[in-house]
Amino acid sequence: MNNPTGTTTVAAGADAPRATELDANLGAAEFDALLDAAIDGIMVIDERGRVVRVNKSAERMLGYDAAELLSQSLNLIMSEEDADRHDNYVGSYLRTGRRRIIGIGREVLARRRDGSVFPVSLAVGEVRLRGQIRFVGLMRDLTEAKRAEEEALRHREEMMHVSRLTTMGEMAAALAHEVNQPLSAIATYTAACTRLLDQGEEGIKDVRHALAQINAQAHRAGEVIRRIRSFTRSRELSRRTIDVGSLLEEIRPLAELDAKANSIALRMELDPGLPEINVDVVQIQQVILNLLRNGVDAVRQAPAERRRLLLRAGLAREREIRFEIIDQGEGVDEAVRPRLFTPFFTTKSAGMGMGLAISRSIITGHGGVLDYHNNAGGGATFWFTLPTDGDE
Amino acid sequence: MTAPTSVFVVDDDQAVRDSLGLLLKSVGVMHRLFDSAQSFLDGYDPGWQGCIVLDIRMPGMSGMELQQQLKDLRCHMPIIFITGHGDVPMAVEAMQSGAFDFIQKPFRDQELLDRIHQALTHDAAHRSEEEQRRAVLHRHASLTPREREVMECVVRGLANKVIAMDLELSQRTVEIHRARVMEKMGARSLAELVRMSLLIEEPEGKGAY
Repeated sequence: MNNPTGTTTVAAGADAPRATELDANLGAAEFDALLDAAIDGIMVIDERGRVVRVNKSAERMLGYDAAELLSQSLNLIMSEEDADRHDNYVGSYLRTGRRRIIGIGREVLARRRDGSVFPVSLAVGEVRLRGQIRFVGLMRDLTEAKRAEEEALRHREEMMHVSRLTTMGEMAAALAHEVNQPLSAIATYTAACTRLLDQGEEGIKDVRHALAQINAQAHRAGEVIRRIRSFTRSRELSRRTIDVGSLLEEIRPLAELDAKANSIALRMELDPGLPEINVDVVQIQQVILNLLRNGVDAVRQAPAERRRLLLRAGLAREREIRFEIIDQGEGVDEAVRPRLFTPFFTTKSAGMGMGLAISRSIITGHGGVLDYHNNAGGGATFWFTLPTDGDE
Repeated sequence: MTAPTSVFVVDDDQAVRDSLGLLLKSVGVMHRLFDSAQSFLDGYDPGWQGCIVLDIRMPGMSGMELQQQLKDLRCHMPIIFITGHGDVPMAVEAMQSGAFDFIQKPFRDQELLDRIHQALTHDAAHRSEEEQRRAVLHRHASLTPREREVMECVVRGLANKVIAMDLELSQRTVEIHRARVMEKMGARSLAELVRMSLLIEEPEGKGAY
C-alpha cells in the first residue's frame, strides 16, 4: 500500500502551497473515511509492534475504542499463543528479512476486550518511508465463515451416519440372522448337554465339546454386535494409513453375512502387493458395503448360477487403486443413468436414495472417482478409484 | 431299502449343524450332516430313508432350491425347514411346495425332536404304502389280458352274468377267471381287490402331507 499523502504531494507540485495543504488534508480525510468504511478491520503498527492507527471495523471487531488501542502493543489483541509467535515473526523479519507472515496472510486467533478469542484471517503489508517502517494489517472476522464450515461438515457427517444406519437397516434381516445362528446353536448345544449328562460318564466328552462350542458361539454373537456398533457409531472424519487387505477384512463378516442371507456367493479378489492408502477407513468401508448392498439387491432374485458378487481390488495404474463390485443382475437401465447419483433418487421400494450420492461424495472427497458400467455379459460393475499417496 | 432310517441335516453353519448332530446323538437318532445343498445332492442315494432337516437360507443352492431338485428326483423324504425370523413368507412357500413342516430358529429342542419323530413316522408309513403299491403292481402285471379285463369289471361291481355278456364269455369261464384273479392278486375279498385297484390307479408318490 502506498502512502496516499505522498502521492498527492508529487501530483500537486510546489507552486500552490495552500492548495497543496488543502489537498493533503482532503486526502487524509478521504483516507480516514476509506479506512472506516472498510468491512475488514485495519490497523497500522510501527516497527516495535505498537498500534498507530485503527479503523472503525477493527474497533467493533475487538470491542475497544481507538484511544484504548493506540500506542498499545499488538499483543493486546492477539491470543497468547499467536502473540508469542507474532513477536518472533516481526523480530525475525526485521533481522533476517525472511517473510513469515508479511505479504502472505494467515489465519490467527484474535482476542477481544472481554478476553474471548475468535478466528481472523490476517493479511499484513509493509510501508517503508524515510527510514520509518510501518506494518498495515487487515483482519477479516472468520467466526461466521468458520461456523458455516463446521455446520456443513457436521451436516455431511450426519448424512454419512444416517446412511450407515440405513445400510445397517437394510441389512437388519441378515444381521438378525447372524445373531440368531449362534443363539440357536447355543440353545441346541445346551439341550443336548442336558440329555447327555443324564447318560452319565459316556456323554462327558461330548458335553465338554459342546461347552467349548457354546463359549465360541457366545463370542461370535457378541462379535457381530461389536462390528455393527463400530460401523454405525457416529464418528468424526479421521484418516489413517491402512493396507487394502485389512480394510476389506474388517467388513468381510458384515458383507458375507448379507450375501449369505440372500443365498449369494460373494468372492473377494485382492491383487497381491497393493500399496497402503491413507483414507477415512470407516467411510471407505461404508462405500464398499453400500455398493455390495446394491449388488445384493441386484442379484437376489436372479437364478442360482447368477447370484454371485465379486469384489475386486487392484492397481489401476501407478498410485491409483481401483475397487470393483461386479454383479450379474439385470444391469442399470440407461433411463436412470442421469439420476443415479442424485440424492433421494432410488429404484428400490425401501431405499432412501442416499447411498450412491453419499458414496460418490466420499470418494470425491478422497480424490478418487466413483462410477459404473453395465457388463457385456449382463449385470453391472460399480467401481471407484483411490489415490495411494493419500493426501490429494 | 438297504439304508437304515436317518435324519439328514443340511445346514451351512458349522455350529448349528454340529449342535443338531449332538442333539440327535443325545437321543440316539441316526443322522448324517451336510454342509451344503450341493453336498447332499452329490451324496444322494434313492435308497435313503428318514427325513431331511434343511436350512432355508444357504449360500449357493438354497434350501428351497434343493427341495425342488429332490422333487424332480422323486425323493419323497419329508422335509422340515429351519427358518429365521424374517423367513415366514419363504417358509409358507416351502409348505405350499410340499414341505412337511418348518421350525423357527432358535427352536426348543423338544419341538424339533417331536417334528422329526412325526416326519420319520410319516416317511415309514408312506414307504410301506409305496411298498404295498409296488407289490400290487407286480402281481397285477402277472395277470393275463383277459384276467385284467375281468378284474376291471369285477371292481366296477358288475355281476358275473353281466361280465359274461360284455366280454362274450360263458359265465363259467368268467367264474374261473375271477377265481384266478383273486388268487394271483392275493385278495381274500372283493373289498380287498377294490382297494388294490385303487392303489394301481393312484399316481406314484402323491407325497401330500
